[in-house]
Amino acid sequence: MHSPVPQRRRVVLSTVSSDSHTWNLVFLQLLLQELGHEVVNLGPCVPDDLVVAAVREHRPHAVVISSVNGHGHLDGVRLARALRAHPDTRDVPAVIGGKLGVAGADDGAMAAELIAAGFDRVFIDAGELDALTGYLAMLPARDRLQVTGAR
Amino acid sequence: MRPGATGRGPGADLGDYVRAAAERGELVVQPRMGMADPDLMAEGLRAVAAAPARTAGTITLDSYTRVADHDGARAALRDGRDLNGFPIVVHGPEVTARVAATAGPAIPVQVRHGSATPSTLFRVMTEAGLSASEGGPVSYCLPYGRVPLAESVASWRDATAELVESCRDNGSRAHLETFGGCLLGQLCPPSLLVATSVLESLFFAQHGVTSLSLSYAQQTDATQDIEALAAMRRLAGALLPASVDWHLVLYTYMGVYPRTRDGARLLLRDSAELAVRGGAERLIVKTTAEAFRIPTIAENVAALVDADSTARRAAALPTAELVDPTDVLREATGLVEAVLALSDDVGTALLRAFATGLLDVPFCVHPDNLGRTQGAIDDNGRLYWAESGNLPLPGGPRSSGRRLTSAQLLGMLRAVPARYEQAALTRSSAPTLDPALTPATSSSAPILDPASRSSAPILDPASRSSATTMEASVTATTTIPASPPQAATDWSAAPHRIAVLGTGSRGLAVLERLAARLAEDTSGRRVELYAIDAVEIGAGRIWRTDQAPWFLMNTPACEVTMFSGPPDDGPARPSAGPSLAQWWQRVMPDTAEPNGYAERGLYGRYLRFVLDTIEASLPETVTLERVRAMVHALDRTPQGHYQLMLFDGRVIEADRVVLATGHPRTELTPGQRALAAFAEARPRLRYLRGDSPADMPLDEIPSGATVGIIGMGLSFFDVMAALTAGRSGHFAENDTGELEYVASGWEPRIVAGSRGGAPLPARGRNQKAADHSYRPRLFTTQRVRAARAERKLDFRADVLPWITAEVDLVYYETALRQRFGAGAATAFTARAVALAEHSPGLADPAGLTATAELVGPSGTPESGGLAGLAAEFGLADQPPLGLLRRGRPFAGSRFADPGDFEKSLAELVREDLVQAALGNVDGPVKAALDALRDVRQVIRTAVDFGGLTPESHRRDFLDWFVPLAGFVSTGPPLHRMRQFLALLNSGVLRVVGPDASFGMDADRDRFTACSPNVEGSLVRLDVLIDARIPTPDVRRDPAPLIRGLRDSGVLTSFRNTGGDTDFDTGGVAVTDAPFHPIGADGRPDPGLHVLGIPSEHTRWFTQVGSSRPGAWGSFMRDADAIAGSVLAPIAADRPLTSARPGR
Repeated sequence: MHSPVPQRRRVVLSTVSSDSHTWNLVFLQLLLQELGHEVVNLGPCVPDDLVVAAVREHRPHAVVISSVNGHGHLDGVRLARALRAHPDTRDVPAVIGGKLGVAGADDGAMAAELIAAGFDRVFIDAGELDALTGYLAMLPARDRLQVTGAR
Repeated sequence: MRPGATGRGPGADLGDYVRAAAERGELVVQPRMGMADPDLMAEGLRAVAAAPARTAGTITLDSYTRVADHDGARAALRDGRDLNGFPIVVHGPEVTARVAATAGPAIPVQVRHGSATPSTLFRVMTEAGLSASEGGPVSYCLPYGRVPLAESVASWRDATAELVESCRDNGSRAHLETFGGCLLGQLCPPSLLVATSVLESLFFAQHGVTSLSLSYAQQTDATQDIEALAAMRRLAGALLPASVDWHLVLYTYMGVYPRTRDGARLLLRDSAELAVRGGAERLIVKTTAEAFRIPTIAENVAALVDADSTARRAAALPTAELVDPTDVLREATGLVEAVLALSDDVGTALLRAFATGLLDVPFCVHPDNLGRTQGAIDDNGRLYWAESGNLPLPGGPRSSGRRLTSAQLLGMLRAVPARYEQAALTRSSAPTLDPALTPATSSSAPILDPASRSSAPILDPASRSSATTMEASVTATTTIPASPPQAATDWSAAPHRIAVLGTGSRGLAVLERLAARLAEDTSGRRVELYAIDAVEIGAGRIWRTDQAPWFLMNTPACEVTMFSGPPDDGPARPSAGPSLAQWWQRVMPDTAEPNGYAERGLYGRYLRFVLDTIEASLPETVTLERVRAMVHALDRTPQGHYQLMLFDGRVIEADRVVLATGHPRTELTPGQRALAAFAEARPRLRYLRGDSPADMPLDEIPSGATVGIIGMGLSFFDVMAALTAGRSGHFAENDTGELEYVASGWEPRIVAGSRGGAPLPARGRNQKAADHSYRPRLFTTQRVRAARAERKLDFRADVLPWITAEVDLVYYETALRQRFGAGAATAFTARAVALAEHSPGLADPAGLTATAELVGPSGTPESGGLAGLAAEFGLADQPPLGLLRRGRPFAGSRFADPGDFEKSLAELVREDLVQAALGNVDGPVKAALDALRDVRQVIRTAVDFGGLTPESHRRDFLDWFVPLAGFVSTGPPLHRMRQFLALLNSGVLRVVGPDASFGMDADRDRFTACSPNVEGSLVRLDVLIDARIPTPDVRRDPAPLIRGLRDSGVLTSFRNTGGDTDFDTGGVAVTDAPFHPIGADGRPDPGLHVLGIPSEHTRWFTQVGSSRPGAWGSFMRDADAIAGSVLAPIAADRPLTSARPGR
């Protein structure tokens, strides 16, 4: 578990290109700010290249993608590949969560696909908010120890 | 209002249709329905047109088409993936026309989309002969996308003009509905909704639209909504040209929707009444499925029929004329006038207004929205401006001066659904608008027209029964029930709802027994099961299926089952299904090892298989809903039900709740906090607390770092594996048969330490059959029961001698069998048991339990007790087992240097490996230690529910015996110990020594580890991992659910009291089976059950993750007791018989 005094992290908060929902982003922004993080909220319907551009501009400690329209796993896979394809954004920790598939989707397969595409964590359903906040708190600040190999 | 009739396209004109209905006093009801498949979409339109209600048809487009990603929509269709609407551009005009035609000539069909750039889809739509759509330059831009507002305004300007023209060419009339009355759906004060809708209608009118509707979405307060509708009617009447035909359309609540069917239905009905009272001519409905998924055709039709019938009952009730819309009207008028003053062109005015914040949508994060406003809900449930930014409000700007928190936001987003979920609980059927919500001026009866409206007296509670009748007749004419009821099913009675919180092994066992019992239930009563888990349904956190393969179980697969009976010739089902080993052999025939230790993730897959099997077996009257969410509160309603509040805002109601929440994540102790703070202040250092190793971020530990591990128990072995095998290192056998570690170079250096200084000894090679069960001969349940009936026991004086005697019995018995054959062993045991029969209860006049360890140096070691008896049988040279010394193998030893210590440690481990290889039947040591596992149930009989004196419970049992017993009897698989030795030899792993202490060196900014008994053992560390599993303690559990239940007195810590001492254990106080929690008032809660780890200390050794094949142990008995109790209310008529007695 994470340490009780969280480190301040810069987070780029976004959703996927086809998702027009906002409240999840507004809520996450408030929550992450309360935990001391700095949040760049890109709003709804964010094209992949805008996420990449925002990461290049803001150099965040993490990218948090929240999607609730059921297309999150489809768009997310493409977004992750875009992030991992660019040398400036290849290594940024990126997580995705929310309602990522339509009802009855195979969560496990979906998560595996998203991880394979390049996400570091997949948080399916809002019950994993504490897992998200814990994950952010544990992220090494960039000037900390470099993680080598062993991933 | 509309001059003359316009030409008609292929379908009915939406404006005309609504007007005609309004003249008949009918509300037009319309779904938000969209399907990807043309045939399904057509079927939906046909069903809407055929519904017994005044309906309009809808084709809702998918979200790819909305953002003009037509390739994306095409690809999804091609790949057979489902879309959330009808991709009109991909299907094209011909298909669309064919689909729309199924609504028939009399029913208008509207295209609903959400696009900021609608030209293309308008073109396809008009080519298909459709003329009605909706949206707006502001409302389909700001809340839903990132198209710049200027682009949206320009695009809507062109698209609107084109739409008007194309329709005119078709001989039809374009109709556009503003979406401005919705915006973000929630938390926008009504004046801005009204203003935006009016401004968008003016924009449409300016670009040639002559048939319009103005939308308003239901908000938090009915009276305020009626005021808003009244204000909108006045403003539109004053501002729209007389040549424009327009009506008002209400949206059923667009925010977070109630999770209960009854709550959703209630909200829908209130919106239908609101539409009538507020004077809206059309209503866009939502369904009871809204909160969960895209609704089916049947659900859409059911909602339309429900809304229609509600509206008919409400028709011509007191309306907007009777409320005082002054406040909303003044605000809205001020906003509209300020905007219109910015330019003659409405589009330009809108752009300038947003740029300057004269319009500013609360909580909207679009770059072109200033974002300085916030809406909030006041104590009366009405929306108000908490922050008004630059909005030109009468009376000047408003500011609450407080910062909104995420929790407050969630509370406000949840306010409406929570109210309706609650209201649905307290109203039995066919509810209407709460009288408290009706406008004050409408409460006087004479307003009703008694002659014509006597059948719909909405304000009269006595009319509820007639409404019920009406509802019944409505459902009879539609196809709402998903499946036809069976004759024996009592569909009228409310379902019995059971929520199981936590779907790890404990929760799953309860579900298995519930399903087994329900399979034989003939009451016909409906049952709803909720399987709730925050991490993974059917596996839980500890067994989640995505963990790394090096995390292993600690029980051989053949000894693990989750079914309460063995498989038979029939299909797998509750009470008859495969053990883990049997399932493993079936799914992975090439790699399964029935006697081996499965990966934890694999066990998780087995658990999910069990849940799937349970679900598939349920009779038609029983449903199981899987809910993946963290529960943050559990409340008891006045009706005696329970409400589970989920973290994501959902609410689940239940009649019975089983808390099987498993391992807690406890607060850090003061010592742990100091270590964590030390690391937090030093960027180079990391501190990881005790938790499921799969949940520790072990990947983030850099290679080459020095990692200290506190504790050398089961979690230690998991961490050890993750940091070595998990980092591409591997083990190879050398010529002497020992394992050698081949490093990858990515490992950190590991420094382990514990009080004992040695790892848990390995478990003996398993030689016992899967369904083996042990019958204690000396330490018997009868003996313990007899003693407990008289008094509280002293563990050390009363209980421990008999435990050691039992263990020694197995030790000598096994040694005799190995040396002199089975006959000698049998004779020895018979003598011992005969001697014990002279001892009533726990007294021991025969001195059977007198051993060196217990008697101490002043006694007569080796001569008395079982050792003496064994000597008579020829085992005088057999070294005593020394059970109680085994936890501290290095006690009293000092070592000159770390190498000296590690040599001794390696010898100890090698000796342990020899013993383990002998097996848990043939090896005297491992067989004896295994017996300690076998007598756990007898120990429970002595200890559980306050069997020991408080002082002995704390000091002798929890502080001393439990760690010792855990150490000697719960060890890791044998091959883990071989790996330990290999790592020790390779230098990757070091053990600091006995009585290890871990500290902080502030001068050097490092953690430290050292042993006082090993010279030169000090090591400095970069990372410190606490690999001890935290002890559950309800007093210090930070989980919101547990904290809430503790604070409200539902859960209490079990206090063992006796004499003048009192021991507050920290375990959840529960009754004996079926384990109801005992509240602060001392009374059990009969609707709640607490099972497993949270109740540790009230009961002992609850950390059991599976049942064993064969006769039921306590794991299955406990689950069945709860299942029986939970189903008792519906089984009252006919006792269930499926419970099998355990042995």
